[in-house]
Amino acid sequence: MSAPAQSKSLKAIGEDTWKNKTEKVNAELFTLTYGAIVSQLCADYDRDFQKVNNHLFSMGYNIGVRLVEDFLARTALPRCENMVKTSEMISKCAFKIFLNMTPQVTNWSSEKDAFSLMLDENPLSDFVELPMDAMKQLWYSNVLSGVLKGALEMVQLDCDVWFVSDILKGDPQTELRIKLNKVLKDEVPIGED
Amino acid sequence: MKTKDDSNQSVKRMDRPNVASNPSTAAGTQEMTEQQKLQQQLQIFQNSLPKVSQTVYMMLLNECVPLSMAVERKHGDCTSKLDGNGDDEVSQTGEQLQKIHVSPPLDPPSHQLCRELYEADEEKHNRVLDRLRNIGFEIGNKITELLVFSNNPNLQFKDMDLLSVMKFICRDVWRQMFNKQIDNLKTNHRGTFYLFDYDYQPIQSFALDSESSEKELQMVKPFLEIAVGVIKGVLASIGHAPEDVICLASYVDRPEEKPRASFTKGVSFHVQVAM
Repeated sequence: MSAPAQSKSLKAIGEDTWKNKTEKVNAELFTLTYGAIVSQLCADYDRDFQKVNNHLFSMGYNIGVRLVEDFLARTALPRCENMVKTSEMISKCAFKIFLNMTPQVTNWSSEKDAFSLMLDENPLSDFVELPMDAMKQLWYSNVLSGVLKGALEMVQLDCDVWFVSDILKGDPQTELRIKLNKVLKDEVPIGED
Repeated sequence: MKTKDDSNQSVKRMDRPNVASNPSTAAGTQEMTEQQKLQQQLQIFQNSLPKVSQTVYMMLLNECVPLSMAVERKHGDCTSKLDGNGDDEVSQTGEQLQKIHVSPPLDPPSHQLCRELYEADEEKHNRVLDRLRNIGFEIGNKITELLVFSNNPNLQFKDMDLLSVMKFICRDVWRQMFNKQIDNLKTNHRGTFYLFDYDYQPIQSFALDSESSEKELQMVKPFLEIAVGVIKGVLASIGHAPEDVICLASYVDRPEEKPRASFTKGVSFHVQVAM
């Protein structure tokens, strides 16, 4: 009963924060900036796309660990008690506030510890077309998986995040998979338990 | 060196086209109202475009610095056949595990990379800065296109002289990227320009206190390089070949009357265009 009410309020929080408390820049500028970064990486690695993927992931991780602070400060949301809640928080608040999009949450695993985000409107890859050789290996938006990994780790969720499919690779949709490995424990300082 | 002499000699002739405070006076037209109306329309159009959060954008821009350093590091590793980045804390993820989507090995955290960049020898340092300027250059190159199609009534690229190009950078490019304009533009009308930005957005979150040491300022310096690249990129897209343009960034003191910002120094971009 309470679940839909909850999710609605999350959605409202997301929209309100986006509308009223967020400074904005042109999404096209964002797209082309990211494009410049990726193309510089591809040039640096002589089109060894596996390494480009890793660097993008790592860059995202470094962004994510700091972005989560901004997110928590902006929304003042409490801790999520399960992955279902987490997934809603990510799609309805985090993606909304930072990229102004709301990916769909689907493909839950039976233990409810893994889910997919469907990114139909991905501002990172708007207007992007990959050359043939990059299509096979490059996960163009891999920075996103890094961001999610970093941010979730900062709220004690050790997850694996990776792209399953990407429209840029000719797949019908862009799917980002998030799988919980374990919930990290809050450490109690020695001598205080 | 030639640039220094040039600018010193012409200091007396410097004047200040007033870009910062009021765009319509800068255009210097009598039909203020018409101009304002068009300006308003442009604003509405701009607001209707898709947007993303500025925080994210700034983080993405700033993260380019540690990223470039990480790339530099990897390159060094490759040449000395140390590819598995053995000194990473996160290297337990073996290769066989990677195939089943365990997260890829991470580079060291950003602050560590920034420190490494600061401590790197000159050659490495320059390669990293070049990489950043390249990224900026590409952004600048394309941002012109983005702005040309924005129907801005102030923009006329036909018969545009160098001063208007610089005004375009100060006003439109800067506003698009950093949500603010350049605070002051000085020129000698012979190809030398100084663009002053007293609160350059990307570094505002690096709060240094008033006795910030020289060392800290040096560590922040690489974060100015993307903007340097952007300026060169925009100029290149309007027909000033990169080899004809020198662009350097340095710190300047903020003027007294400016309200206190979190970052104590302003930034000056010195642009020299061969004419």
